[in-house]
Amino acid sequence: MSHASTQFPRLQRTVASAIDGWNQLGRQTQFYGETLKGIGDAVIRYNTEVVRLIAQMSLGVGALALIGGTIVIVGFLTLSAGSLIAVQAYSQLEQVGVQALAGFTSAFLNVRLVGPLVAGIGLAATIGAGATAQLGAMRISEEIDALEVMGIRSVAYLASTRVVAGMIVVIPLYCVAVIMAFVATRVGTTAVYGQSTGVYDHYFYTFLNPVDVIYSFLQAISMAIVVMLVHTYYGFNASGGPAGVGEAVGRAVRTSLIAAVFVTLFVSLALYGQSGGLNLSG
Amino acid sequence: MWLGFRNEGDSAVNVNPDDVGSWSVVVSLQSAGKPVRAVGEFFAMSLDTFVQMFKPPWAWREFILQTWFVARVALMPTILLSIPFTVLTTFTINVLLVEIGAADFSGTGAALGTVTQTGPIVTVLVIAGAGATAMCADLGARTIREELDALRVLGVNPVQALVVPRVLAATLVSLLLASLVCLVGIAGGFFFSVFFQHVTPGAFAAGLTLLVHGPQVIVALIKAAIFGLAASLIACYKGISVGGGTQGVGNAVNETVVYTFMALFVINLIATAVAVKAGAT
Repeated sequence: MSHASTQFPRLQRTVASAIDGWNQLGRQTQFYGETLKGIGDAVIRYNTEVVRLIAQMSLGVGALALIGGTIVIVGFLTLSAGSLIAVQAYSQLEQVGVQALAGFTSAFLNVRLVGPLVAGIGLAATIGAGATAQLGAMRISEEIDALEVMGIRSVAYLASTRVVAGMIVVIPLYCVAVIMAFVATRVGTTAVYGQSTGVYDHYFYTFLNPVDVIYSFLQAISMAIVVMLVHTYYGFNASGGPAGVGEAVGRAVRTSLIAAVFVTLFVSLALYGQSGGLNLSG
Repeated sequence: MWLGFRNEGDSAVNVNPDDVGSWSVVVSLQSAGKPVRAVGEFFAMSLDTFVQMFKPPWAWREFILQTWFVARVALMPTILLSIPFTVLTTFTINVLLVEIGAADFSGTGAALGTVTQTGPIVTVLVIAGAGATAMCADLGARTIREELDALRVLGVNPVQALVVPRVLAATLVSLLLASLVCLVGIAGGFFFSVFFQHVTPGAFAAGLTLLVHGPQVIVALIKAAIFGLAASLIACYKGISVGGGTQGVGNAVNETVVYTFMALFVINLIATAVAVKAGAT
């Protein structure tokens, strides 16, 4: 059968791709809505799956489990970021002669900036990308269709459970991450640069604001939700064989990094406000 | 060279399956030695890549295609990621500067944060998240379809034909992207500081070059190039050594992201420490 020639083929293609992109956005939003709606089902009906996923996410699978799983990876990332603060901040402060304030930079930057950002990056790379790889492989080998045929709500069973598990896993994970960042900055400043621990601790504890730490936890949890939503969407809709799964993981990591950083920014602005809620004078 | 490593690994698997006792010993030895062997193979492949880089025939066409490909997938994410990253950094630093009455120096803070840290880090996040994952997925799919074995049969060295152009392309693109990130980041910081935190535009612009000079910019570019090199080497290694079908490719891409991010932070820490020691920060 021969195709009838179309008028304005280039224009039609442009319009079609624009409409497709718009529809894609709608489908994505719909999937997120369904996933969030399925959280109730996930907690009530599929709670064993949630527990299994929590165990899997915190320890990781395959080669990642060999090097200690998600906890170690995220801890390692914040550890090196914390040391970075020691290196960079200490040398900057030394130039103006106020290196005593190194403890303050740890309490301020680790909590507000480095902790949430680095933990978000770690989450996207480990549990997020892992979820996309798993779900994508399931989609390609038609396991998700099999679940549907068996009468299991696939979105609730696969996506919502992962969002719930991610939300729960991120809490101990973030504790480890923040502690690692604090320890790294302290060791870097006191052991490597030779500041006395008393000076460091004094400024650190003076400026460590408990409310900031709670806010930073809120940021981490909201980031975990966004990361898991994005990653389950891309895994759930993977197509095109083995290469398709890999591409889906890449696209998911890209999107979730952007989404996670934007969420951190907006949550930061919302929580700390324009003035920043910082009181140096106490 | 690198082909030899593959063959050794394969021959270890060819143990008579009836002999269960020795089979389990071999399996446990293999699983124990697996991470070590992976590290060794990675360094062997990296060495091969550096050797092949200077040997003709040079894969020009693949290099240009890959450069274009990495630049295309990385451009939009770079811009989208560098804006919130820098705005967040500027916001946090400005809060501090306003509190000590030095809001006029917010340009200095923005330039310092962007050029020394955010620029290289955002670049590598994008190169690792967008470029390296796509590379790993592509090479992994080829490995699974046994295209690399076909290349070897044809007498084409896959490292020379596929890995070298990819590694060079990623290095070049991350070098170029780092400058873009710095530009976009400082512009984002400017708009945020001036329009939301009411810093004087002139003071912001004047403060930009207070602490950041040529050496800092060069260090940032060198950092970005090293990141691109490391990320693409890891991606190519994970892609070439894929095994286990569809799930295997997904896992390989996942591991690529994790390992590149970990390598990034370690390299960044060391590079920053070296730069500080050399007096360039």
